[in-house]
Amino acid sequence: MSTEGLSLHHITVRFGGLLALDDVSLRVPPGRVVGIIGPNGAGKTTLFNVISGFVAPEKGSMTLDGKPFRARPHQLTGHGIARTLQGVGQFDGMTVLDNVQVGPRSEAEAWAALERCGVAEHARNFPKALPYAKRKRVELARALAARPRILMLDEPAGGLDTDEIRWLADLIRETECTVLLVEHHMELVMSVCDEILVLDFGKPIALGTPGEIRSNEKVAEAYLGAAA
Amino acid sequence: MDRFVFLTFDGLSRGAVYAAFALALVLIWRAARIVNFAQGAMAVATAYVGYSVADATGSYWLGFLVAVVAGLLLGAGVERVVMRFVDHSSPLNGVVVALGLVLIIQGVLGMIYGNEFRPAEAPLSRDAFEIGGIALLSRYDLFVFGAVGAVVVLLTLLFTRTPTGLRMRAAAFAPDVSRLLGVPVGGMLTLGWALAAGVGSLAGMLVIPTELGLHPTAMDIVFISAFTAAVLGGLDSPIGAVLGGLLVGLLLSYISGYLGATVAPMAVLALLVIVLLSRPDGLFARSKARTA
Repeated sequence: MSTEGLSLHHITVRFGGLLALDDVSLRVPPGRVVGIIGPNGAGKTTLFNVISGFVAPEKGSMTLDGKPFRARPHQLTGHGIARTLQGVGQFDGMTVLDNVQVGPRSEAEAWAALERCGVAEHARNFPKALPYAKRKRVELARALAARPRILMLDEPAGGLDTDEIRWLADLIRETECTVLLVEHHMELVMSVCDEILVLDFGKPIALGTPGEIRSNEKVAEAYLGAAA
Repeated sequence: MDRFVFLTFDGLSRGAVYAAFALALVLIWRAARIVNFAQGAMAVATAYVGYSVADATGSYWLGFLVAVVAGLLLGAGVERVVMRFVDHSSPLNGVVVALGLVLIIQGVLGMIYGNEFRPAEAPLSRDAFEIGGIALLSRYDLFVFGAVGAVVVLLTLLFTRTPTGLRMRAAAFAPDVSRLLGVPVGGMLTLGWALAAGVGSLAGMLVIPTELGLHPTAMDIVFISAFTAAVLGGLDSPIGAVLGGLLVGLLLSYISGYLGATVAPMAVLALLVIVLLSRPDGLFARSKARTA
């Protein structure tokens, strides 16, 4: 396994007059769980969209394993990166199994991912017929079926109850993938992440371990302060 | 009674062609949310190619094959060269471009082949078999049923049993999600247009020998009937397109048989208006839940 991982260098994104990301740099070493937090509108999903190739940065660059990296969305899985979306983003007219099999996956990989996420029994159902928490699991199974080395999770705990969040935390801890986690659920972020980047109005205001982030005054002021 | 039975079989045979043509419209609608008003003109263009090859080689079947392949290529080309660059923020943009393509294709065909009807012979006898004194189906009708049935079965297998079909469906449902999963959405769209145009060309080759012959506008009325069939069945429903095609074929056959052939085109337009006013999502669409 490479020791380089994914690196973002001075990423800047502007939407018209709005500076969505302002000189954001981040290194995501292999095997680590890195959280990206910040208030609504901080630029977390925009950063994911830059990595995914949906948004082109005005300035900055990315490297993957030390090589220049700029993937188009459909090439992302080819680079070993899988991403979930906010909400569930599923194909409602297709069965759960078909949903997980879309893309270059074998049926065996799809079944293994469904088993791992505990939704194999719903493989022949349509996603719409499942409770929200199960649909979120299907979304995770779809990402895991690609056997990624980097897993990008965009608010995976949204709308889940305590038991489901505990299950999700276990899954993140047990996975062998590098994980990039955008999440508002602080308990989950603090419990699973090795390192956390905090954004505020597109600007990185802190980077450190969960303990360091907890005691960072800027973070408390900008984000955690409201919840504290 | 004899007449009714004859008109029923005749209507089913004609309806099978409308079904194939409607299926072509539905394929593009599902993939790109565009009603391809150029489908008829594209089918005529490839029929000209097919009959030119048939005339040059003496083999109708080679011409038939070339027409279908030309349809596949033309569909892919139209998507890659024209439709991909249309601003799809308004559905009307694609429609206007498709109508422009009709004018261009028909104009070019007129310049190359002239604007007179050219005879287009059917490859098999169109004399109906009689059973118990009742004329039922001709060899050509059986060929039409077989060809359309084979297309429906092959497309069903493609969309339900193959990874490519799965990706085509996914790309049509949610392009951005599909891209993230590694689906080459642009390629799937090109394939969808190619398949649709190939099916349209096959329908054109099947119906032209039953009409007045080859002419740049030969498919205009057929297009309206097939569009009505697609709307009747629901533009999102391949099964609806097939059933809609058969229903329109039967309706036209009965009206032509009992009221006269000149009434049939008006009947199609009347049916189209009635369906658009009463069930714009088609007869086979699921009712939408009320949102307010």
